[in-house]
Amino acid sequence: MFSLYKKEVHSYFASPFAYVLSALFLLVFSLSFIRSISTMDSNVLKFSFSEIFYNNFFFFIFMIPLLTMRTFAEERQAKTETIWLSAPITIPQVVLAKYFAVVTVYGLMMLLSLVFPLIAWIKGSVVFSSLICGYAGFFFWGLVCIAVGVMTSAMTDNTILAAIFGETAMLLIIFLDTFTETKLIQSMPAVAKVFTWFSTQARFAKFSQGLFSLSDLVFFLTLSTVALVWTIIIIEKRRWSRG
Amino acid sequence: MVEIKNLTKYYGTHLAVKDISFTVGDHEVLGFLGPNGAGKSTTMNMITGCLPSTDGTVLVDGFDIAKNPMEVKKRIGYLPEIPPVYPDMRVRDYLTFAAGLKRVPRADRKKQVDNAMERLHITDMERRVIGHLSKGYRQRVGFAMALLGSPKFLILDEPTVGLDPTQVMEVRKLIMELSLDHTIIFSTHILAEVAAVCQRVVIINQGTIRAEDTIENLEASVTVQHMLRMKVEGEMTKVTNIINEVPGVQGIDEVAFDSVGVNIFTVKVKDDDVRKPLMSALISQDCMVLEITAVKSSLEDAFVQITQGAPSGKSARSVSADTPAPAEEKEAD
Repeated sequence: MFSLYKKEVHSYFASPFAYVLSALFLLVFSLSFIRSISTMDSNVLKFSFSEIFYNNFFFFIFMIPLLTMRTFAEERQAKTETIWLSAPITIPQVVLAKYFAVVTVYGLMMLLSLVFPLIAWIKGSVVFSSLICGYAGFFFWGLVCIAVGVMTSAMTDNTILAAIFGETAMLLIIFLDTFTETKLIQSMPAVAKVFTWFSTQARFAKFSQGLFSLSDLVFFLTLSTVALVWTIIIIEKRRWSRG
Repeated sequence: MVEIKNLTKYYGTHLAVKDISFTVGDHEVLGFLGPNGAGKSTTMNMITGCLPSTDGTVLVDGFDIAKNPMEVKKRIGYLPEIPPVYPDMRVRDYLTFAAGLKRVPRADRKKQVDNAMERLHITDMERRVIGHLSKGYRQRVGFAMALLGSPKFLILDEPTVGLDPTQVMEVRKLIMELSLDHTIIFSTHILAEVAAVCQRVVIINQGTIRAEDTIENLEASVTVQHMLRMKVEGEMTKVTNIINEVPGVQGIDEVAFDSVGVNIFTVKVKDDDVRKPLMSALISQDCMVLEITAVKSSLEDAFVQITQGAPSGKSARSVSADTPAPAEEKEAD
């Protein structure tokens, strides 16, 4: 399993892909950073990153599927999946190896983005509690996005389609909140309550405001697990129905 | 030993492989033969555990692929029709990765990778990116991958497709070498290949086994047809009459024009002894025989006959065969 993980991480950095995507990520991060600074109220003494995190939350919808689209779709297209299908490795192990490889690349991107809080800290002062919670929320939300992206990648043999599926799935997850706020749903309190359980925006907002809640953490991890288990089911199912 | 028992595979409602059973003994080379789309790859994918079977099972050294896939996969080296190589990796990195995937102990990996590369003559390619290699080399890299983990059984799916004649010869030689310490099942749609390296053949078409036997038995069981090709100078109808009157001649199959006054006759005869009276009859009537050759029916024809006939259980059917002729790729899908 570790071999596969290593190979996957390596393949991201063997092409310009990971570099370009990291650059794009940092660009977007820096833009929201600049905007936060320029619109900062002079009364504020410490710099909090809550807004930046919140802006980037939406950017993830577009970025993460680009990172995950290749995981299974490309292998299926190039018919390289036989190498791990015929090797003494189980499908859950394959899915986990690939998942953690993307998580690693994503983690490195997060590390790079630390340069902005660092600048803020050198030139001024930073609300650390809010920063740490923001990063934690950011990271766990990323885990969910990656799991969903890996899942949609397993659904098709076309990488572009995998990315589009991923984006659609994430949009649905995010806009479930907005949907819950409509009059129609609000008129049915029971339904609204169920929908709120699955609300991601509110949970993320809590993290970005510096509130660390265990139940939210469990929620993000559960959502990731569900997506990964579903990935395993998709691959197994395809193995049965098609060669 | 690999035992394949009543293997059946449905893709949705489409029946790809129907009730296939055969056994491969240790250190045996089994040729798995069939036209494209016959179910070869499906069967091989089921043997290697890439594809679950709808019914039936595969036992490798007594381990059931459905119940104990890890044990089976450890014992099998598989080279699929399209070698599963990653174009963005270097040859050595790829093989090291594959060795890890096949659970070769860390300390052994370098040695095994070196050995495999040496065996396939790709050591000087180790730093090359696979995507930049030619098809022949990619095939070799895939082959080297199959050898990693010292598997007892090698399953090779059309290992010579798309290679140039020299490479085909090399692969055949390699299979012969490997057969000394491996059990090999390899599929092909080229009969001459099977005749060159296999002890036993399973012929499959439309998902069912059409014949299963040793090459010798396959050849022995067929009725050998004697044909002569003669280039004769003389008027066509006259020559035809002379030939037809010789006892032992069963008929003229074909007459082809060669040059003015010269025709090529393909004659079906009872046995080779007819050649002598045939020659003297022609010469005595002033027809010059310029050339005479015995036509050998190729195993290819036999294969076409078997695969196009109805399913017939497990014995070789009437096949006309002699020595294996150089094969061309025939696609009888």
